[in-house]
Amino acid sequence: MDALLTASRLILDPYVLWVITASAAFGMFVGAMPGLTATMATALLVPVTFFMDPVPALGAIVTATAMAIFAGDIPAALLRIPGTPASAAYTDESYAMSKKGQLDLNLGVNLVFSVLGGFVGVAILIVCAPALAEVAINFSSFEYFWLALLGLTCAVFMTSDVPLKGITSLLFGLAINCIGIDPAAGYPRFTFGSVELLQGISFIPAMIGMFALSELLRGMVHADAQGAVIAQKIGNIFSGVFGVFKRYWFNFLRGSAIGVLIGALPGAGADIAAWISFAVSKRFSKEPEKFGTGHIEGIVDATSANNSALGGAWIPALVFGIPGDSITAIVIGVLYMKGMNPGPTVFLQNPQFIYAVFIIFILANILMLPLGWIAIKGGKQLLRVPRNVLLPVILMFCLVGSYAMTNSIYGVIMMVVMGLIGWLMEEHGFPIAPAILGLVLGEMLEQNFMTSMIKADGAFIMFFERPIAATLGVMTLLIWGTMLWRGIRGRPATLGEAAPAP
Amino acid sequence: MRANDAIAGLVLVILSIVMIALTASFPDFPGQKYGPSLFPRILGAGLIVCGGILMWNGLAARRGGAPWIEIAPWAKEPRRLATFVLVLVLLLLYIFAAETVGFIPLALLFLVTLFVWLGVRPWIAAATAIAGTFTIYWFFATLLRVPLPRGWLNSIL
Repeated sequence: MDALLTASRLILDPYVLWVITASAAFGMFVGAMPGLTATMATALLVPVTFFMDPVPALGAIVTATAMAIFAGDIPAALLRIPGTPASAAYTDESYAMSKKGQLDLNLGVNLVFSVLGGFVGVAILIVCAPALAEVAINFSSFEYFWLALLGLTCAVFMTSDVPLKGITSLLFGLAINCIGIDPAAGYPRFTFGSVELLQGISFIPAMIGMFALSELLRGMVHADAQGAVIAQKIGNIFSGVFGVFKRYWFNFLRGSAIGVLIGALPGAGADIAAWISFAVSKRFSKEPEKFGTGHIEGIVDATSANNSALGGAWIPALVFGIPGDSITAIVIGVLYMKGMNPGPTVFLQNPQFIYAVFIIFILANILMLPLGWIAIKGGKQLLRVPRNVLLPVILMFCLVGSYAMTNSIYGVIMMVVMGLIGWLMEEHGFPIAPAILGLVLGEMLEQNFMTSMIKADGAFIMFFERPIAATLGVMTLLIWGTMLWRGIRGRPATLGEAAPAP
Repeated sequence: MRANDAIAGLVLVILSIVMIALTASFPDFPGQKYGPSLFPRILGAGLIVCGGILMWNGLAARRGGAPWIEIAPWAKEPRRLATFVLVLVLLLLYIFAAETVGFIPLALLFLVTLFVWLGVRPWIAAATAIAGTFTIYWFFATLLRVPLPRGWLNSIL
């Protein structure tokens, strides 16, 4: 209770509230602009939050991402272009509704169910995280090794249609994480005499490169594609939403549950949650033939799912230090920089931070209703911001942001190099998320692997001697087995076209 | 531009071999079986396997008629390709010239060039570039105290 009070006091500070409101507006804007994603919003925020205390820094990220995931629905309805990949699953459905003249209802449903989905996400986070932390406090290096490996395995399994490319991407991320002082013996590896490489790949510039620069490179090339906003007037968006709730409350619950689950699985975030819940909705719908004609049912599922996934992703991030999606991957990097190693000990030593995250999540979802309404009302003006002005300014911001992370040009070099690598990877159908997870989890994986190897001294059975370690180990091996089996059963050789997620 | 998987695989295999070769110089610690070279070697071995399968798949696709290198549709339009190259050149310019020239002149050049190239009207381009540069400078250098390179303007700022 004491910690809860401390947490409330930390948040009810005017400065923190101001940061939250400002990042909410920022998140709305970034989310609503096609081509700028929620992950990018986080990567762009980090250079700024780096200079803040942990609570406002976390507040900024939580709020901005929640808003961005909702705001992505606005251009989907108005332009038929998803604002973030998390809205891609139902963009066509959404636009079809707009064309049928149900623009108001569509936007209202998107807003209200995003808020409600967000609440489900945070509720499950609040219930599950402390309980899991109590279990996790007894974990040894064996459990952490398997947990990290299981997390990375999930990332490959979930994010990639071509598992081989996912694994390659993961191994690549782990390999570049080896640059710098090794975590077990303290020997500098692959530094080629560079002092800057001693501390390893600087994480934030690498993120800005992979998530922002590679996206900007793509966007800049198509800067002339602005899209035409639908001509309808936006009226009262809330009328009829309650009727939708009464009819589809089960879809809302199911979508939110799927969202939390997918969000909590490492590597998969809001976008995959939306795809899967939309597919589930269609599969179990009483009127599947209406899907594709501008039917609200699937949208209820998916728009709840992508917002609840955000809360879900924080569960493994806070409890084990294993990111549930690419946003929390960045968050974990930020926490490490602030000297707060995420993991069950934070729940004991600094519970006020955990409670602060919970409260910010709730606040952010409350704030989403009025701000979302404003964003919808101003949506048409917002979408008229010319891309050829916006993109260069963001690029400049990336340059300065990565410079600020190292206070030297080294950060910029890192950003550009990783951005180009990220761009090349995506061009060739290698998913980026596994590489990022490898980069974030590499140290944890190696440290626990080395500790376990030294403890076991060659006796591999020790990796399976503790019950939880054995369970996690068997699960990991089973997933690897499934992937191998699927690989061997032969899919035709392709040039590597990564099909959209299921 | 998209290279055949065989090429991507080959690059991966070569890089992994280099990585494993580099680990040969890592020290062993007496009485300790597992040293700093173990983990990179496991990763390297994994990458070689992945690279090998990629090469196999790529060659199979090649036999099926896939080209060695496929040019993306946008890269066939000279103007879009030029945009891409221009962004890269500006980034490199920033990396090499930032310390000597300084942030403000370079950022102005960077923004005006991109704006004009992407078709923003010149006076809007100039005004936005000036506003953007000084806002970013104010925010990072003044508010957050990031030592952005001063370069030519060292005596003024």
